[in-house]
Amino acid sequence: MTSFRAAVWAEALKMRRSMVPFFTAVGFSMAPLAGGLFMVILKDPEAARAMGLISAKAQVLVGVADWPAYFSFLTQAVAAGGGILFSIITIWVFGREFSDRTIKELLALPTTRETIVTAKFFVIMVWALVLTLFIFGIGLGVASLVSIPGWSAGLVQAAFTKIMGAALLTLPLMPFVALLSSAGRGYLPPFGWTIFTLVLANIAAILGWGDWFPWAIPGLFSGAAGPGTDVLGLHSYVILFLTGLTGLAATYWWWLNADQAK
Amino acid sequence: MNYAIETSNLSKQYGKVHAVDNVHLRVKTGEIYGFLGLNGAGKTTTIRALLGMIRPSGGNVKVLGQALGPGGRGPWAQVGHLVESPAAYSELSVRENLDVARRLHGIQNPKVVDEVIEQLTLGSYADRKAGTLSSGNFQRLGLARALLHKPELLLLDEPANGLDPAGVIEIRELLKSLVQQKGVTVFMSSHILTEVDRLATRIGIIHKGQLIEELDTDRLEKMRSKYLEIQARDLESAFASLQNAGYKAVMKDGALLIEDARAIEHPDEIARILVQVGTPPTRLAVEQQNLEEHFMQLTGGAK
Repeated sequence: MTSFRAAVWAEALKMRRSMVPFFTAVGFSMAPLAGGLFMVILKDPEAARAMGLISAKAQVLVGVADWPAYFSFLTQAVAAGGGILFSIITIWVFGREFSDRTIKELLALPTTRETIVTAKFFVIMVWALVLTLFIFGIGLGVASLVSIPGWSAGLVQAAFTKIMGAALLTLPLMPFVALLSSAGRGYLPPFGWTIFTLVLANIAAILGWGDWFPWAIPGLFSGAAGPGTDVLGLHSYVILFLTGLTGLAATYWWWLNADQAK
Repeated sequence: MNYAIETSNLSKQYGKVHAVDNVHLRVKTGEIYGFLGLNGAGKTTTIRALLGMIRPSGGNVKVLGQALGPGGRGPWAQVGHLVESPAAYSELSVRENLDVARRLHGIQNPKVVDEVIEQLTLGSYADRKAGTLSSGNFQRLGLARALLHKPELLLLDEPANGLDPAGVIEIRELLKSLVQQKGVTVFMSSHILTEVDRLATRIGIIHKGQLIEELDTDRLEKMRSKYLEIQARDLESAFASLQNAGYKAVMKDGALLIEDARAIEHPDEIARILVQVGTPPTRLAVEQQNLEEHFMQLTGGAK
């Protein structure tokens, strides 16, 4: 068994035994369920009104009741919700070692520190992508149940690419969360960072600089700026890539070099 | 000479605070080195430096003949450690925690987990979640992880913490047997002086970051030696009569001290001599010098 496989096994076991996969799955499944509810409202506004549901808000959020609108909502939910939920996963995977003081059991081992950090990032990535696949599956089920028009195999394929793309573009933002979970030795600093970057991303997008701001890029990719507004260019993807790379380098450096005196 | 641990001018500074200051340690293979110090003296910082968890501000560290490299590289497959209070993944069982450690140590054989569970008498708790263990069993889990891979060197920070008296004896015997039968080297820090005194073959005392004294086996033996303490109303006369009777006594702090084994084994004979010469003892007690007194004198800990 290679040390990387051993480290991945250890991280996967810790993940499986915790409640975090359950809670993140429940949290993320709210997106397709909420989308389904909006479709129900938009399909029959009168009936929805009779049930006490407000159709105007649903119309603003989703538009019309069809498969393209449903997938568009789901992509935006993955970009926005993914930023938070993937951060929670990252905060837990890295921050718990400091919060529970188990970090000292990971530093003087034949399995190197960089192997452990790589295994942690690998588990985060797999976990985030599985979660996205999970909500895409739920989304397909929910949309089928509410029977909305506009389904086509091509649309499903395009939506799948878009949703997985939004998730993949969110992942490069995680190394900075990992760095703050490590250097901040716990949960609060990275959580504060997540909220802070979320607010900044909204401001950057409103000001029209979102394509230059890494934390706004997944949202803009998902179409959060409105239909047909493709503001991202090659520079956006390069910036996002460089942000991820910088975060990774800083996290590895910190694990290898920082004093672990607590 | 083979040294399991060698430090030269090891220093660690946090701002203006010298946590460890020019510590020069030589721990021989197969010895039990007790590392004593008050809280904040620099014990844990030294242990963390020996494990590559902190980077020294100055000096060198060699563990099992290998200089610690960048990124915390070291001979960790041969080193077991317990730093400060033990930590474990609370949602994993005792067995799972040890299995994680086994895999990260690259050990193929899963039976080592069962062996160490048995060694540390954790059998009844093997499938219990670590988060539900008592502090004593949590400590045992930490020790089990340190011993799992059958290391050549054990770095233990307060190994007896949280253990009940039976547990303290059990761990002491376990460490003794590892040293005697497997040639393991133990470097243990503690502020439980009696424990260190009973176990260590050599002791280092660290105070305010500096290694202020090392006591070797001979010195420890001497320190552990007993003596008879005698008090009498006429101490001069008592001294003279004991000298005449062939006992070598010394006068110290208003008492006579005799290290002669005859006197220690038969204090009644001393009493008889003193009564015969008309200076009966007002106090007669077999005492033992101890590490605690010595430690307090050195560190000013009693103040």
